[in-house]
Amino acid sequence: MHFQAEESEVPMATTACFIIVSRNDIPIYETELGSAAKREDAAQLHQFVLHAALDVVQDLAWTTSAMFLKAIDRFNDLVVSVYVTAGHTRFMLLHDSRSDDGIKSFFQEVHELYIKTLLNPLYLPGSRITSSHFDTKVRGLGRKYL
Amino acid sequence: MGREVSESCVDSLLTEMVSSYCDRFYANKPELAARRIEAIGFQVGHQLSERYTMERPRFSDNLEAIKFICKDFWSELFKKQIDNLKTNHKGTFVLQDNRFRWLARMSIDPSSEDGDLSQDNSAPVTENKAAQATSMHLYFPCGIIRGALSNLGIPCAVSADISSLPACELLVMECIRLYLLSYAHCIAFISTARYSFFSQSRSSCMIIVIFHPCISERALRFR
Repeated sequence: MHFQAEESEVPMATTACFIIVSRNDIPIYETELGSAAKREDAAQLHQFVLHAALDVVQDLAWTTSAMFLKAIDRFNDLVVSVYVTAGHTRFMLLHDSRSDDGIKSFFQEVHELYIKTLLNPLYLPGSRITSSHFDTKVRGLGRKYL
Repeated sequence: MGREVSESCVDSLLTEMVSSYCDRFYANKPELAARRIEAIGFQVGHQLSERYTMERPRFSDNLEAIKFICKDFWSELFKKQIDNLKTNHKGTFVLQDNRFRWLARMSIDPSSEDGDLSQDNSAPVTENKAAQATSMHLYFPCGIIRGALSNLGIPCAVSADISSLPACELLVMECIRLYLLSYAHCIAFISTARYSFFSQSRSSCMIIVIFHPCISERALRFR
């Protein structure tokens, strides 16, 4: 079968790495989204870039009262976008250039999921999120918005 | 996510919680019961603050966070705002509610052991006991406020005071941390960790001095 790609939509491999960092700078959730083939060194590189971007987030977070901080850091052709909640939990996404609206919606939906996780009385705030349900949902949101 | 709960259910739950902790679990140890109730409130406040701050921009200031507690947070919980907010601009805030919803249906009878429902009291001893009985019900909202504020980045200690029954005052004191200058210098980690209540005779506050090397992230920002 022959698929005709439209002018505006060029199908290409997308890479994205998403982590949630708690207020104590401990990563509580990490995942690779996107459809690129997973390479071993790429995974570590992604984590390294995201953790290095934490300093930038720290400075920026105090200058604005918005939750969604757009692209705050670049590395080669990858961009880091961050969303900070009132409780200073940071959602960080490493991606190649993508539309801001999609990313913002993705962050907002993940924020709702995160609040639902927090509402669980058996979840200790600041500990790792190990629920597979959460994982599945985040991946689904990643496919939907990214 | 914005569902409502019947108020009578909440009242019954709170009354039952206080009486279980005070009369059954920690029967002769009101201090421990108070701490457990306050800890439950802490977790609830933590979760609620995360939930109610979702739609609005973040806070740039401690005062804004306290104002959020007084206005939006209180109206989500009790459908009214805090009536009066006073501050000494040095980290202490007094929140006054003239008709606190969870105390609205309570009255104290000092003559009977169970605290039954009639209005007059005169003897100071019985008044003290009655005040203590009622004050156990205030540990939960104190915990809620403390949990909400710690989630917003303001470690604090909250205590409450009942002047006349449906009105109560909540006192919020921020924990002040000074810098660790050198290992030889003492850090005053001044915290008034109070689990006992004021009654007519004000209790003095405890000042705890601890060596505390941790610096809060806000303090880092102002360096």
